[in-house]
Amino acid sequence: MSSGRILVVDDDPQIRRAMKATLTSRGYEVSDSRTGEEALEKLRSETFDLVLLDVNMPGIGGIETCGLIRSSSDIAIIMLTVSSSEKDKVDALDAGADDYVTKPFSMPELLARIRATLRRLPQAPDDSGLRQLALEGVAIDLSSRQVTVHDRTSRLTAKEFDLLSYFLIRPNKTISHRELLQAVWGPDYGEELEYLRVFVNRLRKKIELDPSHPRFLVTDAWAGYRFHLPTKEIRK
Amino acid sequence: MVTLTESHTRSNFERVLQKAGRLTLRLLLALSLIAAITFVFFGHVNATSVGFFYLVAILVIATAGGLVEATVASIIAMLCFNFFFLPPIGTFTIADPQNWVALFAFLTTALTASQLSARLKRQRKEAQDRQQEMERLYALSRAILLTDTTQPSAKQIAHQIVNVFACPAVALHDRSANEIYLDGPEALPDIDGKLRESASRSIVTREDAGEILITPIRLGGEPIGSLALKHAFLSDAALQSLLNLVAVGLERARAQEEVNRAQVARQSEELKSTLLDALAHEFKTPLTSIKAVTTDLLSNPDESLSQQHRGLIAIADEGADRLDRLVTEAIQLARIEGGKFQLNREVHFPSSLLSAALRQTKSHTDGRDFNLQVEDDLPLVFVDGQLIVLMITHLIDNAAKYSRPGTPIAIGAKASEKSVIIYVTDQGPGISEDEQAHIFDKFYRGSRGQHLKGTGMGLAIAREIIRAHGEEIWVRSNPGQGSEFWFSLPIAPPGSSE
Repeated sequence: MSSGRILVVDDDPQIRRAMKATLTSRGYEVSDSRTGEEALEKLRSETFDLVLLDVNMPGIGGIETCGLIRSSSDIAIIMLTVSSSEKDKVDALDAGADDYVTKPFSMPELLARIRATLRRLPQAPDDSGLRQLALEGVAIDLSSRQVTVHDRTSRLTAKEFDLLSYFLIRPNKTISHRELLQAVWGPDYGEELEYLRVFVNRLRKKIELDPSHPRFLVTDAWAGYRFHLPTKEIRK
Repeated sequence: MVTLTESHTRSNFERVLQKAGRLTLRLLLALSLIAAITFVFFGHVNATSVGFFYLVAILVIATAGGLVEATVASIIAMLCFNFFFLPPIGTFTIADPQNWVALFAFLTTALTASQLSARLKRQRKEAQDRQQEMERLYALSRAILLTDTTQPSAKQIAHQIVNVFACPAVALHDRSANEIYLDGPEALPDIDGKLRESASRSIVTREDAGEILITPIRLGGEPIGSLALKHAFLSDAALQSLLNLVAVGLERARAQEEVNRAQVARQSEELKSTLLDALAHEFKTPLTSIKAVTTDLLSNPDESLSQQHRGLIAIADEGADRLDRLVTEAIQLARIEGGKFQLNREVHFPSSLLSAALRQTKSHTDGRDFNLQVEDDLPLVFVDGQLIVLMITHLIDNAAKYSRPGTPIAIGAKASEKSVIIYVTDQGPGISEDEQAHIFDKFYRGSRGQHLKGTGMGLAIAREIIRAHGEEIWVRSNPGQGSEFWFSLPIAPPGSSE
């Protein structure tokens, strides 16, 4: 049984070959593309669980490809970057990636990232019976992962959804950076503050009326983040 | 030189001669006019009418000629009037005392009229001169605005002064470029020293009996050069305007040049950065496939690999790691050494910088005891967190490399007056005083470290990072007693938050 279908996108044939060989031996089904355009084509006709996307490619680069994939799909994306600078990492996450790995990487590290990205939280909101949330002008439908803010509907990616769910079942409680990272990304994480910064911003853009002055997803300086739920919230 | 002076004197002499000739001619004309009136009216017109005719003639002379001609004509007319028209006619004596009054009134009127007329004429000439100066200054300002970059601006300005003011010789000293440009058909002997003196001491001098004027060019009170002009018959106001124009022109050229230089520097910096990125990509791409394969094989749990094969693959894996570090550090160093990289400063806890560095080094320094000593209540620091963590990892890597396995490494932070001091100390063999002078140099490796793996760039990178923050790094070591590396970090301004 396959552990998942992975699309490897890199312009270097050796890397594609190495990825194909190593990932296949770990039980993944692997397909590969040479360019961003080719990958987008492939994603239209086949289904995958995860895309391994190189940042530095000729044609439309990895960042742009990531944005294009994200505009129509919430598939898991891990970006492969050469540079380890903060800016490049944040760029990758901003474009919609779930995670990134710096080249060259070790296979155990990559496999751990793949597992963490594919790993889903147990559907906690189901247990609490919280399926739909309607707050002043904002409607969050947890069963279809859709958010509507004043008639503007957007869909949450898997990681965004997990993060929001984690907040929603712990309303009005400050949650530390480490707890959030470990709960949503996995036990190997804990220091990647830039992940949280980017994902919280992405969530704010989707659920807040004014993302620069958040009403729900508020920052508690030094400590972490808190989901502020007015007491008169409506449960259905 | 002698011939030059001679030709000068000659030309001066000729000029005076010409002037005298023209004056004589005009005087002759004036006198013939008076004589004509006398001749035409003598004998049959009364004295009063003739007096008025003389006055009209003198006014005409004063308007057409000058003060000298009018004055001479007035006196001659007065004498003629007396001799030919006032009785007794044919003598210079006057019988009737009333005629004395008339003669005196005539002379006064004639002289005053000629004075007034001459003054008017002089004023008109002055106005014309001012206007010409204004036009020339305007032409010069246009020319200065239109200077291009094919030649030094100061050279072009000197040339334009010669053109516009018809100066026989001009020398312009541009102090910031330390250049002197000469222009014009005549020479200015030994002018260099005088120009420099005028600029440095900010004094105005005249040479060659006032023919050459040397004056400093000031901008905002500061002398930025000096100008020597030969035969420049300019009013003080025009000269000041000329100097201001030249000052503005020089300053404008200097500013333009500065902008150009900054642009070239920025472009070359961008090129360098692009090249480095391309280089990083080219090296890291093959390393990625090598590492993927070696780490996959080494992490494979099944026993398909023999112990021997595992050992061989581990060698390839370590080689790839080392190559990766070399490439990374070479690029870091090149980037940081460019000196133009942007510090991405933020507020950080010193302790989180230390723990981040420790986390990143753990993989290479397995099994070492790290003794973390952080003072309580340390102030926050304002630094580029990524770079500081990078340099602390270099220091920790060094400490681990140059000390025996199993000996502890201490890492700590403490507050000083104006900064937070961070240190990394080991119990290795220490560094001799000679070597301490060199350890921060690129590619330098301690005498005991020749066999060790490393790039020799770690401390050079550390020093560049700390310098970019305006802080210091230093080493304390006694051979046999270990080494201590210390550096300071700037404290964040009060009231800032992470």
